[in-house]
Amino acid sequence: MHPSLRRCSARVHAPLIKFLGKRTYPTTPEARHPHPAAPAEFKERFSQFLAKMNSSGSESSSQKASDSGAAVFSNFWEAPPRFWKPRVRELEDAEMDAVMSGGASSY
Amino acid sequence: MLHLKRVAQNNLARAARRSASRGLATAAEPYDVVVVGGGPGGYVAAIKAAQLGLRTACIEKRGALGGTCLNVGCIPSKAMLNNSHLYHQAQHDFARRGIDATVSLNLPKMLEAKTNAVTGLTKGIEILFKQNKVDYIKGSASFVSSTRLAISPISEAPEGAPTEVEAKNIIIATGSEVSPFPGGAITIDEKQIVSSTGALELQQVPKKMVVIGGGIIGLEMGSVWSRLGAEVTVVEFLGAIGGAGIDEEVAKTFQRILGKQGLKFKLNTKVLSAEQKDGKVYLEAEPAKGGKSETLEADVVLVAVGRRPYTEGLNIEAAGVEKDNRGRIVIDDQFTTSQKHIKCIGDVTFGPMLAHKAEEEGIAAAEFIKSGHGHVNYAAIPSVVYTHPEVAWVGKTEQELKAEGVKYKIGKFSFAANSRAKTNLDTEGFVKIIVEAETDRILGAHIIGPNAGEMISEAVLALEYGASSEDVARTCHAHPTLSEAFKEAAMAASGKPIHM
Repeated sequence: MHPSLRRCSARVHAPLIKFLGKRTYPTTPEARHPHPAAPAEFKERFSQFLAKMNSSGSESSSQKASDSGAAVFSNFWEAPPRFWKPRVRELEDAEMDAVMSGGASSY
Repeated sequence: MLHLKRVAQNNLARAARRSASRGLATAAEPYDVVVVGGGPGGYVAAIKAAQLGLRTACIEKRGALGGTCLNVGCIPSKAMLNNSHLYHQAQHDFARRGIDATVSLNLPKMLEAKTNAVTGLTKGIEILFKQNKVDYIKGSASFVSSTRLAISPISEAPEGAPTEVEAKNIIIATGSEVSPFPGGAITIDEKQIVSSTGALELQQVPKKMVVIGGGIIGLEMGSVWSRLGAEVTVVEFLGAIGGAGIDEEVAKTFQRILGKQGLKFKLNTKVLSAEQKDGKVYLEAEPAKGGKSETLEADVVLVAVGRRPYTEGLNIEAAGVEKDNRGRIVIDDQFTTSQKHIKCIGDVTFGPMLAHKAEEEGIAAAEFIKSGHGHVNYAAIPSVVYTHPEVAWVGKTEQELKAEGVKYKIGKFSFAANSRAKTNLDTEGFVKIIVEAETDRILGAHIIGPNAGEMISEAVLALEYGASSEDVARTCHAHPTLSEAFKEAAMAASGKPIHM
């Protein structure tokens, strides 16, 4: 009988470091907290700061519902792109020049 | 023949124009992210945001990317520290290594080498911007509203920049500037009374230099000019050198070693005023607790009393962003200001004013914008003083743990017992690892010795992963290396070292 090296050792070291595998972001957004390096007085009034932040203007999530139930946006880019970036083909410079010159620039 | 040539030219011009295209006259789509400031926080945030697929621009008013760190801070000072160390070694250390050489200082050439290093690196960031499709806007940004920034031209790029940009998200990364002397008793002229910026540009070695402030910047710049031949006196208000966060034992050893190198220290001393007369500067100083004042004479005075947040010209009031009473922009743990779509990172907000801290925040801020998640561990941000020997630390000091009532153990290993340090004839200093008594988890590491700034990364990794000293002690380290001292200190903390 040859006991294994592991059995021979006084104890088996169990590393504190654990392999966590590939990281993935959680599906829910993280809750906001005071910054760890913020001074104590700011941490105490963090709820006020949060209220101010939440009432602040534009962000992509600043969509609100109007009285009629339709969406209202503070910034044009928050609306669906079809309203401000219509899907039409872009005109090339040469084509525009041709239009502007009555076709003369093509020759 | 002439007609044919003209037709060919017209065709070529038409072909060149064909690649360009114009959209319809709609409102311009705003940037997903605009970063204000191209320093280590700002440019990293911009590149990361672009890598995450966000349409990104970075506005910088210096005329060169890289911020204070790259242009007038960490990078040029490291060039001067490295080259002055080589000069000092050649003068004072070569002989005992069997090298007989006569060297002389060519200061203009040394300054040129520093400038070349800076220029190469700033241009490198511009290339990174192009590679990552970040729009680099040279100009001075000022908030018009919380989503619009006006851009004024700067002398380095008088034309060509847009006059206004709109952004869905803005990251403020405007950094910091040199703090003036408290109370305004001393005015920096960057010639004879200099900040760190002027201290990197001195055109001759001063005979006598007084450094006000024994923190990282003061000690690094004091070392440079001491090695080049100046008689340097460091005046510090507190009772120890090294600045905030340094371990007391390390600070004492550090002062002793620098003292052996020729630096003089006046601790617990308060500078009151400075008078420029007959080409000299006369400083009035007294004990910090009061007492008889004395006059210190210097050819050059370096004021290194800290830095303060920089938001000049940004007009953040127009954006509705809140600042605290120290001028720092107030943020939460996701770097969000009091305006939801404006984030802030780096020196201009909370936390230590360190380039690598700003870089981490830049990456995390971009990730928060993209995904709502990011990560910066403020308990594992290293500090390094790039003198010789270097000093580096991360995590808790003994003094902090005592104050918190945490029971701890210490593992220490001297470089005098490290084979590589012996072969290098560079044995001053030690590694000190502090672990929680109950769990053996590493809580802090403090290194003074050769290559400490590189070695501290091992401690940062250990802290980030929550390693025990036994984890490090059982990790094989190459022989002969200086990093074996780190392993041996870990062995000392979890049991006993082999070589001491």
